[in-house]
Amino acid sequence: MFKTKITPIHLFLFLVLLFSASAQAVSDKTLVFSAIPDQDETRLKERFGDIATYLSNKLGIPVKYVPVKSYAAVVTAFRNNQVQLAWFGGLSGVQARLRVKDSQAIAQGVEDTTFRTYIIANHSTGLKASDDFPTGIAGKTFTFGSKGSTSGRLMPQYYIEQAMHKKVNDIFKRVGFSGNHSKTISLVQSGAYEVGAVNFKVWEKELKAGKIDTSKVSVIWKTPTYPDYQWTIRGDVDKVWGKGFSDKVKAALLDLKDPDLLERFPRSAFISAKNSDYQPILDTAKKIGLID
Amino acid sequence: MNTVYRHSRAWNVSWLFVLIGVFSLVFADLEVISLEPWQELKRLFLGLFSPDWTNASEIAQAFLQTLSFAILGVAGGSLAGFLLALVFHWRLVRVSCAFIRAIHELFWALIFLQIFGLHPLTGLLAIGLPYAATFAKIYAEILEEGDKSALQAIGHNVSTISSFFYARLPDLWAHFKTYTLYRLECGLRSSAILGFVGLPTLGYSLSSAFMEGHYSVVWALLLLFYLLIASIRYWVRPALLPVYIIAAPFIIANDSQISFENVARFFTEDIIPAPIRNGETLAETWHWFSDLFMTQALPGIANTLVLTQIALVVTGALALIMFPLISRHFFQRTGRGIGHLLLVVMRSTPEYILAYIFLQLWGPSMLPAIAALALHNGAIIGHLIGRYSTEMTLRLDAAVGLNRYFYEMVPRLYGQFLAFLFYRWEIILRESAILGILGIATLGFYIDSSIQELYFDKAMILIVITALLNVGVDALSRYLRARLRLRTSVDCGAGNDYCTAK
Amino acid sequence: MIQLQAETASYRGVKTLHDIDLHITKGEKLALVGQSGSGKSTLIKLIYDRYPVDTSLVPQDYGLVQHLSVYHNTYIGRLDQFSTWYNLVNLIRPWPDQVNKVRAILTGLQLEEHIFRPVGELSGGQKQRVAVARSLFQKGQLLLADEPVSSVDEQQSKEVLKQLMDGFSTIVLALHDIQLALAFCDRIIGLENGRIVLDRPSKSLSTQDLLSLY
Repeated sequence: MFKTKITPIHLFLFLVLLFSASAQAVSDKTLVFSAIPDQDETRLKERFGDIATYLSNKLGIPVKYVPVKSYAAVVTAFRNNQVQLAWFGGLSGVQARLRVKDSQAIAQGVEDTTFRTYIIANHSTGLKASDDFPTGIAGKTFTFGSKGSTSGRLMPQYYIEQAMHKKVNDIFKRVGFSGNHSKTISLVQSGAYEVGAVNFKVWEKELKAGKIDTSKVSVIWKTPTYPDYQWTIRGDVDKVWGKGFSDKVKAALLDLKDPDLLERFPRSAFISAKNSDYQPILDTAKKIGLID
Repeated sequence: MNTVYRHSRAWNVSWLFVLIGVFSLVFADLEVISLEPWQELKRLFLGLFSPDWTNASEIAQAFLQTLSFAILGVAGGSLAGFLLALVFHWRLVRVSCAFIRAIHELFWALIFLQIFGLHPLTGLLAIGLPYAATFAKIYAEILEEGDKSALQAIGHNVSTISSFFYARLPDLWAHFKTYTLYRLECGLRSSAILGFVGLPTLGYSLSSAFMEGHYSVVWALLLLFYLLIASIRYWVRPALLPVYIIAAPFIIANDSQISFENVARFFTEDIIPAPIRNGETLAETWHWFSDLFMTQALPGIANTLVLTQIALVVTGALALIMFPLISRHFFQRTGRGIGHLLLVVMRSTPEYILAYIFLQLWGPSMLPAIAALALHNGAIIGHLIGRYSTEMTLRLDAAVGLNRYFYEMVPRLYGQFLAFLFYRWEIILRESAILGILGIATLGFYIDSSIQELYFDKAMILIVITALLNVGVDALSRYLRARLRLRTSVDCGAGNDYCTAK
Repeated sequence: MIQLQAETASYRGVKTLHDIDLHITKGEKLALVGQSGSGKSTLIKLIYDRYPVDTSLVPQDYGLVQHLSVYHNTYIGRLDQFSTWYNLVNLIRPWPDQVNKVRAILTGLQLEEHIFRPVGELSGGQKQRVAVARSLFQKGQLLLADEPVSSVDEQQSKEVLKQLMDGFSTIVLALHDIQLALAFCDRIIGLENGRIVLDRPSKSLSTQDLLSLY
């Protein structure tokens, strides 16, 4: 009768297995990388799986990609050394490097030096594209992307609050967080939200792919440029994989020329980056109150 | 005396709750903000007829993970809960358990994600910890209420352990088993939704598929999930459990490591309120706290309570409307079959997933949350009182139709119904808070925002506030039940109420 | 009015009534007597089953709704005579004229002071009288009562039976009290092991004659 109960022996066995499973993992030095889930979450593995293969071939060590559900989770995984290399957004990269001493921004997309956010609107609003800030968005429903996104939240919130001299909650009828950029586009297109803020690269990619119905939604304003995405690596990787390892990773990234792989990001090429490039992001985040 | 007709106390309390619910409507945001909600609903419905199994290996993987986390979490939780039940008379244990129970699995998962990251321990503890606290309470009740005469008849010099195994456990075994199996079913639901915050279980694939509107994939996942829950008694066999428990760790293992440095840092830095961590003055600390309280906790609490009270009333109404569907006093066998199917689907789908579905359709107002909470909980209560009504015998000349419903059934069931509803009150509150993660401005919204913004100190304070709110409502519910002398008598093992205790 | 011919009936799968031939004319007041298990209750159920229309019933277990008041439990007797909305309003706020009618019946049964108390709070004998009150309120063409005075004292038994005799013209009572049966009914049916073993006018019977059944 009692054998159906989970006995201490079972638990002991389970703990042994659990820890042996994790202990095993320590011995093979797999480089684990992740990326912020900024678009279509069902295809994250397809998107970044091949990057792992590329890096593995270039570096001669096993490289693995782990999909992660939120921006914050990538930062946490990076901080906990469960991920050593990450494709961060501007804000998440700053947050990560503040938390992991000696971690370095090593590469960014060519486009990331002059990144933009597009404010898009459903045509039912009657809002038209302009160079001046569209103050007509006041009183509309508005969606950001992810709560931790640079192009989907930090920068648009900053520019909107700058222009309107009010907090976003006081400007819009309703403020939402769609989760990612693709979702922002589809929500504004369907009219679930009237106005939204979207990463300009994702907008252009989806426009090119014919996924956007331009009779329903269009860009009404473009923010000034700011630095955004970058590859960041932990400072202690050289200790694990040998001296100069982070330079090797950097070289491998800068050497990435396969247009198919670059399209995953989507960037035309990677160029060198350094931590100080992201000082403007840090300053803005402090102003908004996203970093103390 | 008694010359004027007076309604019962239960009636008056019910109306009080209805009034509070209606009053709450004033503050509730119920707008449908999607322009084409029916279009989307239609697409969702059509997906049912073309479930997409092309990603079979990914789906299988998600299910194995869901099962493994559930089995190990519940197993660990029941073991720990059993040990705690033995010392449940210690006040400290009782209070700690109440507090741990008051925090939803998803919040635990969010906390453990910060400590252990993607390591499987995150999921195991997120399920195991709150479940242990619940197990402790219910096991202690079973021990308390069980027949003790056999124990008293046993010799004095028999050791405590021997006498427990000989004189108590055999009689109580069936109760433990029934409840533990019931919790395994809950564990499957919990495990599934952990995917929504990033664990590799069902919710991960489900939320991604939803996000992109791949409804055929959604249905493939949901149908399989219903099948898994419906068939639970066929695959949970005493002989198989050790196999599951040995196999599960291999399934959930991944390459992540636990860094004790991180664990320590979480407790000594991350969750320490920033002004204290930075050694600021008391005034600044107070300002920091009051700012957090006024701008986040207070609106969060208000919205959580508004949602809870509305959902509670709608839950009650739905339960009363739905229970006849499965009662032999109202429907023939075929009719009841359809009723059962409807209720099973609604109560097997976690509120969180229901809310997620409605949210995609109607946009993030309170409406989808109310619908989800009321459908899920209403189906559970409807099921319980429907089952109870079927056990009743009516007079040969009992009225039919609505007269039967209002004069014979509802008055007889009402005490039971209220007892179940008050049990679910605290559960609905906990869920209301958690649904904030989906974008409704309840406490969960502010907790999730703090975590997304990496302010774990704020998140922790908000979680504690949520837990205290829960403990408070739990106490109020217990008081009301005692005051109205509400007992549930549906016997699901030990003549106890625990089938609805969470 | 009632015509049973060679009827049999089962209770929980066991045949408890055999070859029942029974003819009852309007205005007759019958008492069913016999040991417990002789088939009295089953015969009452059988008659109800055959003649459910306009028949008032006092079942052995009363079948009252404990959480409803005495008034509402009595009112249930006439649910089918009013529209549903009238019944529903009555549940929330009793109609005064219905209350008056019910009160009159309850007065005769010494229940008047309990009119708005939930039945669950009453004693066994009081509950039994509520069941009787419901049948009196319903006032069908036929009364079928299964031991309607088993829980009330002797004095009250007589009063309750008198109310029933005045209230209904045709009555079938199951009664284990022989003296009451002889005093109130004009025809006695004796049952033994599910068969009718005696069927005579009560005038022609004495207590002694009936004791043989027990």
